Amino acid sequence: MHLSRRNLLRLGAAAATAGPLMTACSRAPEPATSNPGTFTLYTNAGHAYEAWKQVVAQFEKDHDVTVSWQKFQWPDLQTKLQTDFAAGTTADLVEQPGGSATVGLAVSGDVRALDDYIAKDGKALGYPDDWQAAAVDSWRHEGKIYGIQMALTCNLLFYNKQMLSQAGLTAPPDNWDDFLAAAKALTKGDVYGFAPNQDYTYSHPWLLQNGVRYFNPDGKQLLTPSPAALEALQFQADLVHKHKVAPVPTASNDYSGPQKLFSAKRAAMIITGPWDLKPIREGSPDIELGLALPLRKTARATNLAGAGFFIPAKSGKPDLAWDLLKRIVSLETQLKVSKEAGLTAPRKSWAESTEIKSDPVMKAVADALPFAAPFDAGLPATGKKAEVDAAYKTLYQEVMVSKKPVQAAVTSFVDAAKRAIG
Amino acid sequence: MPPSGPLARPAARGRLARQRARTAYLLLAPALVFFALMFFYPIGAELTTSAFTGVRADEFVGFGNYTRALTDPAARHAFLVTLRFAVGVVVVSLVLGIAAAMILNQRLRGRLVFRGILLVPYLTSVAIVGLLWRNILDPELGILNRLLGSAGLPEQNWLNEHPVATIVAIAVWQDIGYATLLFIAGLQGIPETYYEAARVDGATPWQRFRHVTLPLLVPTTVFVSVIGTITALQQFALPYLVTDGGPGDASDLYVFRVYETAFGFRDFGYASALSYLLLIVILALSIVQLRAGRRDHGA
Repeated sequence: MHLSRRNLLRLGAAAATAGPLMTACSRAPEPATSNPGTFTLYTNAGHAYEAWKQVVAQFEKDHDVTVSWQKFQWPDLQTKLQTDFAAGTTADLVEQPGGSATVGLAVSGDVRALDDYIAKDGKALGYPDDWQAAAVDSWRHEGKIYGIQMALTCNLLFYNKQMLSQAGLTAPPDNWDDFLAAAKALTKGDVYGFAPNQDYTYSHPWLLQNGVRYFNPDGKQLLTPSPAALEALQFQADLVHKHKVAPVPTASNDYSGPQKLFSAKRAAMIITGPWDLKPIREGSPDIELGLALPLRKTARATNLAGAGFFIPAKSGKPDLAWDLLKRIVSLETQLKVSKEAGLTAPRKSWAESTEIKSDPVMKAVADALPFAAPFDAGLPATGKKAEVDAAYKTLYQEVMVSKKPVQAAVTSFVDAAKRAIG
Repeated sequence: MPPSGPLARPAARGRLARQRARTAYLLLAPALVFFALMFFYPIGAELTTSAFTGVRADEFVGFGNYTRALTDPAARHAFLVTLRFAVGVVVVSLVLGIAAAMILNQRLRGRLVFRGILLVPYLTSVAIVGLLWRNILDPELGILNRLLGSAGLPEQNWLNEHPVATIVAIAVWQDIGYATLLFIAGLQGIPETYYEAARVDGATPWQRFRHVTLPLLVPTTVFVSVIGTITALQQFALPYLVTDGGPGDASDLYVFRVYETAFGFRDFGYASALSYLLLIVILALSIVQLRAGRRDHGA
């Protein structure tokens, strides 16, 4: 193609115009917090509690700010955060599903350490002394604290009291042998004794109960000791494929399948947490719900779950963020949220309060919390937790759904995880 | 003194052409600026990003991300799953689209209503379609197994046993109306005289379809297959909503992996390289399809 001098000049002029335009576009936008009157808060979509609304309203009044409260489902919140960090924008206070997710962000310098605030206000707040130790440790990275746990929950055994009674069972199972026997006794027709979750995180309690460590930073070992890991995974697969006391879980991004089967009285036992209390009570108020301690194999154990808050490193209003965080995690607010939504809290004083001790369901969760431990301890600090979790999800679903031999699935997982960690 | 007569005409024509060109560029300017900002700049920025790695995409690796992609078993697996998905969607859409168009091109009572009904899934949000089928096909709680059970038929577990084929079926169900509409337009563009001539020569209905309809539908077929291939290779929403890439990684489609690499693993550089490799594949396949279509049509 012949390019005349005139066309060349035109192209040059166009490039000269486009250059600065692109430069302007490539510059990261100003942080979302640059507006002095606006405070940005990200929380889970299901956590718009009345108690929090009152706290936020008072906070706005006290500081003469408007809170832009943006709500997301957990996966969407992670996508939003990655986009924010890449674009240079940020919220002022962010809710996260636990400390391990936050430590992963702290490794890359996106989270503000809270030690200076804790040194100043910790005693009045009761932090860390009034918090369960595991709820503090999971937010720690290289000696610094990167967030405060707000809700502390764990998986435990939910069972239908009427179904157990009809099957001649006088008490919920306490260990794996009891559990298998109960599941066999409860499986009849289209009713299953147990409904496992397709979400891989629901397999963590079984591994913890058999003394398995997901990640050992010494030597970067995964799923150790291996025979115990194989046994725990095989036990779960056998419930579905060998003993046929549980349905094959269906792969999806929805973790509510077992709860729906339980609510429909198609499953007598599920392993879940307080987040399923509301749908069970509202969907099937006639079910006599029982909650039992986590099961026992070599140890009684379950995985730590819950949520907390962190302040992004680029927040323009960290002092305000800390103030709002303190209000949200106060004992008064936590008791209100527990009453309103059944959310369980990490404070020891919460577990000891008369309000909680007098509620049998809340008390059952409070009694289970001391057995809870983070499943992925040590892994978030590698910055590769997401890759390892993705490989574990593949392992779990291949074993539970696709009937892949456990040994082969574990070998594939360890190879993929080691490739990711390096 | 300005030139006059025949000598003035080319100069005047040139001025007029320049004026027209200026007007055209002015009218095109908003669209050009929009495309430059919203498409070409991000495409260029992504090319730059693909040469970096790390959480902040600040560690220069040159072509390292591209070589990594070519040896990454997860990326290779996702690509192969996506190819199977794309072939399934395109082939089934072409066959069913032509068949439905042939039926709905007849003088049937209510054919406009049927055409409208066929388009409804295409006009429905993919989020609704995904969740709808996810709930229908759920082996334990879905309505399909209730119906099969009440009819005494064996129950299905397609989401777990045939996840890619299930997503292909859902994608075809959603897009078949669009393909059918295009084939109907293609059929209506074929002159009736060709069929009359074929009938006079004693051609059977199958021979008329094979030697008149199909060759003259080549441009539509090429268009549907190119668009279908591009769309299928970029499919994200259905595996995300229906199977979450599972069970295991059985329905881990390529763009789903790109998304997970960027937003889950926080490696925007590697995700950009994966995207560019997909772009190259899509361009290559589109060129091959268009050339093949042109050759067939010419023949």
